[in-house]
Amino acid sequence: MDVLDLARAQFAVTGSLHFLFVVLTLGLAPLVAIMQTLGTLRNDPLLLRMTRFWGQIYVINYALGIVTGLVMEFQFGLSWSGLSHYAGDVFGAPLAIEALVAFFLESTFLGLWIFGWHRLPRGLHLACIWAVVLTAYASAFWIMVANSFLQNPAGAVERGGRLVVEDFGALLTNPMLTMALPHVIGAGLWAGGSVLMGASAYQLFRRTAEREFFTRSLRLGVVVATAGSLLTVGFGYAQFSPVAQFQPDKFSGAALAGVGLGFMIMIGQLLQLVLLFVLLPTIAWLPRWRWAHPLLMAITPLPFLAAMLGWLAREVGRQPWAVYGRLTVADAMSPGLTPAMITMSFAAFAGVLGLLAIVDYLLIAHVVRRGPAAATLGAAPLPSPERPAALSL
Amino acid sequence: MDILWSALFAVLLVGYFAFEGANIGLGMLLPVLGRTRDGRDRLVAAMAPFVLAGEVWLVAVAGVLFGVYPRAEGEVLFALYPLVVCLLVSWIVRDAGLWFRRRLDGSAWRAGWDRMICLGSWGLALSWGAALAWLAAGPSAVPAALAGAAALAAALAFHGRSFAAWLLPAGPEPAVSPAADPAADPVTAPAAGTATGAGAGAATGIGAGTVTGTVIRRGTGGGRGARALAVSACVAAAPAAALLAGAAPWLLEHTAPVDTLNVLSLMILPFAPVMVGAQVWVWRTFGPRGAADRSPSFF
Repeated sequence: MDVLDLARAQFAVTGSLHFLFVVLTLGLAPLVAIMQTLGTLRNDPLLLRMTRFWGQIYVINYALGIVTGLVMEFQFGLSWSGLSHYAGDVFGAPLAIEALVAFFLESTFLGLWIFGWHRLPRGLHLACIWAVVLTAYASAFWIMVANSFLQNPAGAVERGGRLVVEDFGALLTNPMLTMALPHVIGAGLWAGGSVLMGASAYQLFRRTAEREFFTRSLRLGVVVATAGSLLTVGFGYAQFSPVAQFQPDKFSGAALAGVGLGFMIMIGQLLQLVLLFVLLPTIAWLPRWRWAHPLLMAITPLPFLAAMLGWLAREVGRQPWAVYGRLTVADAMSPGLTPAMITMSFAAFAGVLGLLAIVDYLLIAHVVRRGPAAATLGAAPLPSPERPAALSL
Repeated sequence: MDILWSALFAVLLVGYFAFEGANIGLGMLLPVLGRTRDGRDRLVAAMAPFVLAGEVWLVAVAGVLFGVYPRAEGEVLFALYPLVVCLLVSWIVRDAGLWFRRRLDGSAWRAGWDRMICLGSWGLALSWGAALAWLAAGPSAVPAALAGAAALAAALAFHGRSFAAWLLPAGPEPAVSPAADPAADPVTAPAAGTATGAGAGAATGIGAGTVTGTVIRRGTGGGRGARALAVSACVAAAPAAALLAGAAPWLLEHTAPVDTLNVLSLMILPFAPVMVGAQVWVWRTFGPRGAADRSPSFF
């Protein structure tokens, strides 16, 4: 592999890892916020325990989202300075807005939410998780604005050998954005629902003492995954029209793009069929059907696999362009990047992040296995045991 | 407009060293200040709420660098390639230590991740010090980079020490408390002082420290610990402030066109009060009184 291949592989590996965690963040954050809202309004201890348990899975997942995202942000300057030199006056804006308005606030409010349990007033603590959800989705929006600009550089003109902003509104209404953003958000909800289904099925299969907890979680997971699948598949097909218009060779040019697209559609359609015609109609009995639980566990990773294939299709299909029709990937690479530099950084990032990703997933599995009683997120200040539900009624 | 954005860039970078510098410094001293597992638990629990709100300052710095100085972004990061890789890996390792240390119960697990927090914090301090010195003195000056690394590590350790003293005035291990003295370390302070360089930069750093100190005092009712923390925040931020003062003309030359700046101003500046408000809220909520809380910490 030459330097360009290595730089591309590094971006693909770190980007795929990042998206694997981000997609679940996007799915779980609103679910946790809804659980906490309903739990607070109805004063429902079960919903509040669900908030803590699924919230713990959400924040452990979030940790890897942060560290992989750091590498993404700095990688543009390390490996792709040609891109910021040529298109930075336009492409840099959505990334800067994402960093300041979205991530800065998301992380600050998440810190207040994680450590503010029992310290902040309940209403303000609840507001924090909604601020996190809002900024997480703002983050997805601005990243997709930036990515869509690479797919179709709308709103920019070349002046003096560099792209400059002509109409920023055109970046926000880019046809490569408007259909893709709901597609990604749907994929997030699908992944979040899938994790709720798989983890609940595992606990129910093991004849958990927390039957009601996981029965409700499983049902919520089925409903959210189905809703996510409708959004994802609908806006997936809706993208063919803008893609045909702006990147006619997207899926025929590079073999990998076509393969990624094909397998993503196959997985998505099969799963959606199962959700719509098997799981949703049987939602009342599903929690009691022990034989079905291993199947639910087995399909948990599929939305994640489909999400990664989708990104591969979108990104590989753009090749050889970094900014479609304007700047090739070869020209976007930092001039002077040597094999030694890129090999060193690739090994460091892929090694460390890959290892941490595995550890993170094992820790999430550990949390699922130990169940809600062992959740440490939002644990009460004094070690007095929780009052039994019978007494609180 | 370009002046406004360069001022914002300066505020973010100086803020990074003033706020996140405290977390880095405390991480560096974790095995020294907390000699037992309980001591380290208390230190990490006291610092934890500030970490998420601290590291975002650098994410914001990188964002502004990309949006406002796109031509400088590639040049600076690429020139510092190995140091940026070291910095990122250290940052990742430090964060992993914080997020993972309490996820399993075993003593070896927690002690291992505590070592990662310490290692990552040192990596952050040393690569930042080398990077700042490299940018100030040029790529051929290896001794300068080494001296810069050592000086910044000393400055951040000093800052981390006063941060720990402010958070836990009785020390992390009240029964033993060998390291509870909040007074400035007489050895590290002058070393850090020599690294500050240009007076204008130092003044900016002191300004940032004063603001930090005001926020802290108003939030927590003041005290010697808060004043010491404000001083050490100045020391931690001064090297970056000095470099910024020197690099300002070069940065201004690399500013994005006015159309880009207008877009950024329109989209970002309305949120500035929320960003400031959220940071103030964190410092007011989790100060020394919060650190003494009996809640089991998530980190």
